[in-house]
Amino acid sequence: MQPKRVLVALAGTSADPDVIRLVASIAKPARASVIGIHVIEVRWNLPLDAVMEPELDRGEQLLESAKKVADQVGISLETELLQAREAAAAIIDTAVERKCDLIVVAMPFRKRLGRVYIGRTVQNVYVNAPCAVLAYRQEQNA
Amino acid sequence: MADSEGRSSEGESETPSLEERTTKSGRLPGNRYVRIHRRAEFRREGDIYIAGEESLEPETAAGRVYERARRILFGPRLESDADATERLSILTGLAILGSDNISSSAYATEEAMRILALAGIGAFVFTTPIAIAIVGVLAIVVLSQSQVISAYPNGGGSYVVASDNLGTLPGLVAASALLVDYVLTVATSTAAGVAAISSFVPVFYDQRVGIGLVFIGVLMIVNLRGVREAGIVFAGPTYFYVLSIGALIVYGIFRVATGDIPAAAVPPDPFPREGVEALSVLLILRAFASGSVGLTGSEAIANGVPSMEPDERRNATVTLVIMGTFFATIFLGLTFLAQSIGTVPDRSEQETLNSLITRSLVGTGPFYYVVQLATAIILALAANTGFTGFPRLASVLANDRFMPRQFAYRGERLAFSFGIVALALVSAAVLAIFNGSVTQLIPLYTIGVFLAFTLSQTGLIRRWRRTREAGWQWRAGINGIGAVVTGVVLIVVIVAKFEQGAWITLVVIPVLVSLLLSIHRHYTRVQDALVLERLDEPLPSPRPPVVIVPVGRLDRAAVQAIAFARSISPAVKAVHITTSAESAKEFRDRWEHWAGKVPLDIIESPYRSLVPPLIKYIDGIDRSDDRPVTVVLASFVPHNWWEWLLHSQNAIRLKASLLFRPNTIVIDVPYHIDDGHRSRL
Repeated sequence: MQPKRVLVALAGTSADPDVIRLVASIAKPARASVIGIHVIEVRWNLPLDAVMEPELDRGEQLLESAKKVADQVGISLETELLQAREAAAAIIDTAVERKCDLIVVAMPFRKRLGRVYIGRTVQNVYVNAPCAVLAYRQEQNA
Repeated sequence: MADSEGRSSEGESETPSLEERTTKSGRLPGNRYVRIHRRAEFRREGDIYIAGEESLEPETAAGRVYERARRILFGPRLESDADATERLSILTGLAILGSDNISSSAYATEEAMRILALAGIGAFVFTTPIAIAIVGVLAIVVLSQSQVISAYPNGGGSYVVASDNLGTLPGLVAASALLVDYVLTVATSTAAGVAAISSFVPVFYDQRVGIGLVFIGVLMIVNLRGVREAGIVFAGPTYFYVLSIGALIVYGIFRVATGDIPAAAVPPDPFPREGVEALSVLLILRAFASGSVGLTGSEAIANGVPSMEPDERRNATVTLVIMGTFFATIFLGLTFLAQSIGTVPDRSEQETLNSLITRSLVGTGPFYYVVQLATAIILALAANTGFTGFPRLASVLANDRFMPRQFAYRGERLAFSFGIVALALVSAAVLAIFNGSVTQLIPLYTIGVFLAFTLSQTGLIRRWRRTREAGWQWRAGINGIGAVVTGVVLIVVIVAKFEQGAWITLVVIPVLVSLLLSIHRHYTRVQDALVLERLDEPLPSPRPPVVIVPVGRLDRAAVQAIAFARSISPAVKAVHITTSAESAKEFRDRWEHWAGKVPLDIIESPYRSLVPPLIKYIDGIDRSDDRPVTVVLASFVPHNWWEWLLHSQNAIRLKASLLFRPNTIVIDVPYHIDDGHRSRL
């Protein structure tokens, strides 16, 4: 597969730098453009456009860090900060709107009740996205 | 809709913001999300916007070319946070802050011998005792400066010490003395560097001023690149000098010790055997004062403590001690060799004593050129101590409001750019005025530094007596000896060199002090006038002003200016200046047909003058009405810079005339054509 536009969802976990390097290895040979997004999930008791300063600052910082990693690996990363009730829906909607042909999601290695825990967002993107989805799970010792 | 912080929602806003929020609909009903767009030029940290490097990117092609050239010349911009890394280690600190003092060892012996030569070359027997006395003074100065470092680790040196303990005026005297000294450091060191070059390339002798100016320009550029980079650039030459001259001294001492004393090289114009003056105490004191030029630069480390890496105090003190040791060793070594070989200085200044000693010992082989090149480079780079000290001291003075505020601002490479450029210009002028002559510059040189030394030592004595810290008695004792010794040297220098040019420094220092005081008085007056004493005072609500709109032609630019004037006040008056009754009538007819309906006054100016009648008209309106006057100027902005030449730009002339008119607000309403933007008015 030779993607033309890749959307990478960044959650601010330790998996972010790994997933950007992975995306670079896919996007560079294909000369694909890369969009990095971070979605702030807004609780139902707040308006959708509520100003949540700590989350905004964290989001900006993690996108800034992602840009630095992207610079290091030699790709240009366009970033977007979003607010939504559910991150998965916003990721899919953005991918559709920006005509992305690949969504890359990442998850750190986590276990719940003795089983690897994938998480709601990754699962929903995987199930509902109309385009290709690549899910990256960090290795156990990372 | 705007939220409580004024940020926009749905793309609308009442209060403009750098953040744009757009609500988007998802594929499924209810899957709405908000896209938060913040301008790439600004990043947010808490409630503060931080202007990133993108905000400095030029938008025009010419701007981009300039930016690229600037980057090549001065390097990429540094963030303020990089200040912690823009520091000097002991290795680079010695090169940056100690090069002036170390390099003085190259000419201090010669300067003393030149004075002794006036009593004939037999008087050279006093060279060694004078050199030992100078090294003794240096030891006291180094010890005293280490006290300054310990007591005032924030830098500022003698100015801060004297201000803190003796009062503002002594502080300013110390500051002025140091400022003068730094200028002379640059001029003298550059002149000495060029002299060293012309010693082995005589053809450069006639071009010494031009070469000196080029040196100063190069030093300015390197220093504008920041202190750390300057340290890296200058470290090599400093250690190159120390090693090469060290090797020469060791070789020379070996030959003298083994009885293989070479014949002294003959200078182009040697001093005669017989003197023109009698050998007197005053002459010996003059020689001592001339040789004391070698002590200059020893204050630079105490002035620049904050530029050292942590632990700043320890590193500055270690650097100071190494500097003193290097100077003393080289100075005594060269003096011993000059005496042992019997070298006589060159009266015409074409060949330095250093060159003559080297030539006597090693001939004119490759090592001769190595030593001369090393000496030339260190002498020229010793000027760099001035470039480190002057801008830092000027910034301290600017922060205390004794110098223009521009001196306190740091440039894009965290260097005090304004101070660096100012120093380069002044020292270049001094070098040119004194025709690049070391001997003419030396008499001006030593006064400033010894005046500052004496004041700072005296200030420290008062400090120890006041604070009575542990060991204050011995500290005060050291500073007491330092104050007496440097004070005596100061008096000797003044007496001995007064007629040779020291009087110039004695005139310049008080002038500079009064200049600094008058700058301070100005800033205090402005501060008193502008300070907001109460933060709970409500915002004043001024009455709408009388707005005057000068109109040259009834065109789009004029209509836009009048529309803006109407938006700020109902009392708008247009005024048109014309040169003839016919054109006045023509303009009036057109105005009356226009739908704007703004009152118009037409002034006929038979002498074809535009601005003075308009100013008088504004004066008249101002006198007839007690409301503030606002002048709204329509200014047409051409698309390209060269198109300015095709327009008279009366608005600019009028704006300049109204700049200093009291109680007059001038508003410029620019009208851009052909830029793809529609007017928002």
